[in-house]
Amino acid sequence: MSSIILEARDIRYRYPRGMEAIRGISFHIRKKEKIALVGPNGAGKSTLLMMLNGMVRPDTGMMLFDNQPVLYDPASLRILRKRVGFVLQNPDRQIIAPTVYQDVAFGPTNLGNNETEVREAVTRALRHVGLEGFERRPPHQLSGGEKKRVAIAGVLAMDPDVLVLDEPTSGLDPSGSEDIIELLDELNHEGKTIIISTHDVELAYPWADRAILMKSGRILQEDIPEVAFGNYESVRSAHLSLPILLELHRELQERGFPVQEKKPRTILDVMHCIEQLVQKPSGRKGPGRITVVNVDGDDLDTLPGWRSSRGSTAIGAMGTRAKQYAEKSGVRLDFTYGVIDKCILKALLGKDTMILTTGSMVARVYQRVNNYGTESGVHIPVLPFVSEKNDADENTDGPS
Amino acid sequence: MLEELLEDIAQKNGLREVNTNLKLIAGIGAIILCLISGSFIPPLFIAILLGGAVIYLARVDMKTYAELFILPLMFAFMSIAGIILIRGGTEIFWQWEGIEGFAVSITRESINEGFLVFCRVLGGISALCFLSLTTPMTDIFNAFRQFRIPDEVIDLMMIIYRTIFILMDQVIQIYHAQVMRLGYSRYRESIRSFALLCGAAFIASWDAGDDLVRAMDARCYSGKFAAFGESRPAEPVQVFVVVSFLALSSAVVIISGSVTLI
Repeated sequence: MSSIILEARDIRYRYPRGMEAIRGISFHIRKKEKIALVGPNGAGKSTLLMMLNGMVRPDTGMMLFDNQPVLYDPASLRILRKRVGFVLQNPDRQIIAPTVYQDVAFGPTNLGNNETEVREAVTRALRHVGLEGFERRPPHQLSGGEKKRVAIAGVLAMDPDVLVLDEPTSGLDPSGSEDIIELLDELNHEGKTIIISTHDVELAYPWADRAILMKSGRILQEDIPEVAFGNYESVRSAHLSLPILLELHRELQERGFPVQEKKPRTILDVMHCIEQLVQKPSGRKGPGRITVVNVDGDDLDTLPGWRSSRGSTAIGAMGTRAKQYAEKSGVRLDFTYGVIDKCILKALLGKDTMILTTGSMVARVYQRVNNYGTESGVHIPVLPFVSEKNDADENTDGPS
Repeated sequence: MLEELLEDIAQKNGLREVNTNLKLIAGIGAIILCLISGSFIPPLFIAILLGGAVIYLARVDMKTYAELFILPLMFAFMSIAGIILIRGGTEIFWQWEGIEGFAVSITRESINEGFLVFCRVLGGISALCFLSLTTPMTDIFNAFRQFRIPDEVIDLMMIIYRTIFILMDQVIQIYHAQVMRLGYSRYRESIRSFALLCGAAFIASWDAGDDLVRAMDARCYSGKFAAFGESRPAEPVQVFVVVSFLALSSAVVIISGSVTLI
């Protein structure tokens, strides 16, 4: 278990109008965790989030950051806000400057960095969110998803340890939401702690490490998603709906099917459940292979040739730069979200797949597939992409 | 909406990459020449050249460009009608003395002056259009910074500029909501609705201001705004074109002296 980065001890907060928004909340968040804060409108989610970077000061109780009590003098707040980045729900309200560059540069400039450092920070942040080349664009000409990315880049440019996002997927189309959630995954993988508030149970359920259910200024339940969302009563009273996978699992259980006690997080888990129930068709060939292409490191010149020699390979892209690469080189993507799981599903059908991914996510593919292997006993080979000549005799599948 | 259309064109036009200062010098120089010219010829000359530059070099759609002139020209016609009738002069073509102590007349001098003013307006609009269609506002902010305008003023301008679009969006939404519920169907109602619209816009902007402070606070605002100093160097050919445009126009101003229409 990694150490605690944020902690609240019995905090209470009453709005100037007299309504009590937070009624005694205690919780802690560990480093590198992905936390989903869910609850109905008016549950106090936004107020609670604003306490995390000192925008709202609790009336009683104590907030701790890195095991130190949060101080509310301007100098300490500056340090806190540099380390806890906050992305508002409405990007229009967050984007201040008349060009994308100036907006992303806003934080680093105010932190007192010199111009070269600012430029580097902006370039890095825009690259991260996939908005290179947008520097000169005025924000009002961007789409909702792009604005959201600018807002996130503006916070990333300050290189915070913790990212707090209020309703990051509200107002976005489904594929835009998936992209944002994927981006958050990528950032988490690079070591950032991520806290979001959302109503979208289906997105939060497979994504979060831990879920906090809130209602009327109190914490209703706080646990791993399977448990937090698995309790029908608390989910109902938080005005949410049960994730469809859990509902399916529950119905199967109620009908007396011998499904495993462990609740499914993904389609893959459900398929595993079902395949245990149903007799597998005999004579199925072995699992297909997953080829991992690192768009940051691998030699991509031979990729088109490789693809044309294997016409039926389904391709997925993980991470912003991988998707950009696919778009630039005209690769038609079959999966853009939940890519590893979808590739495992294909592999179980005996089909070969390929994952385009950014350097930082390569290890994740091996990890996920191996975890699946140890859990289910089905061994799926994962190969790194190597150029055409020596691909045939390559047979690596990572440690298992 | 007009303001977004202008911004769109300014972002994408064919002269976007030309050095901002050169464009500013050309535009402001043209306005000054229009104003000091004693004859109607130089403003017309400038209007034709800048119009050609906007249509052929910046590749702005001709219809869009023409539409931009409609509104200012309507104002110009009204004031020119006043000038022609009231100015007076010695060589009278037509006059009317209906009311004791109040006479209107059309004279040679009044027609000449009216036409001169009209041409100056035309030249001025084309210079302003040239600037606003070829140079995005954000480039102009950069130029201001180079001209040593205080940072506080520029920061304020940038925030205002950014907020205009957000406020405008909200005003349009409120307006649509009113129109959909027949808010402007009768005269009395349209006055009432407009008052409500103004009130709502005021409250919305107040809210947006609060949020702005919060957003800036959350990102450690300490009085600094990043500059985006990506200035493109002035190419010799472009410098030559601008200098010769201004020289030629100045020459026309001098040669035409105070030539009048009639």
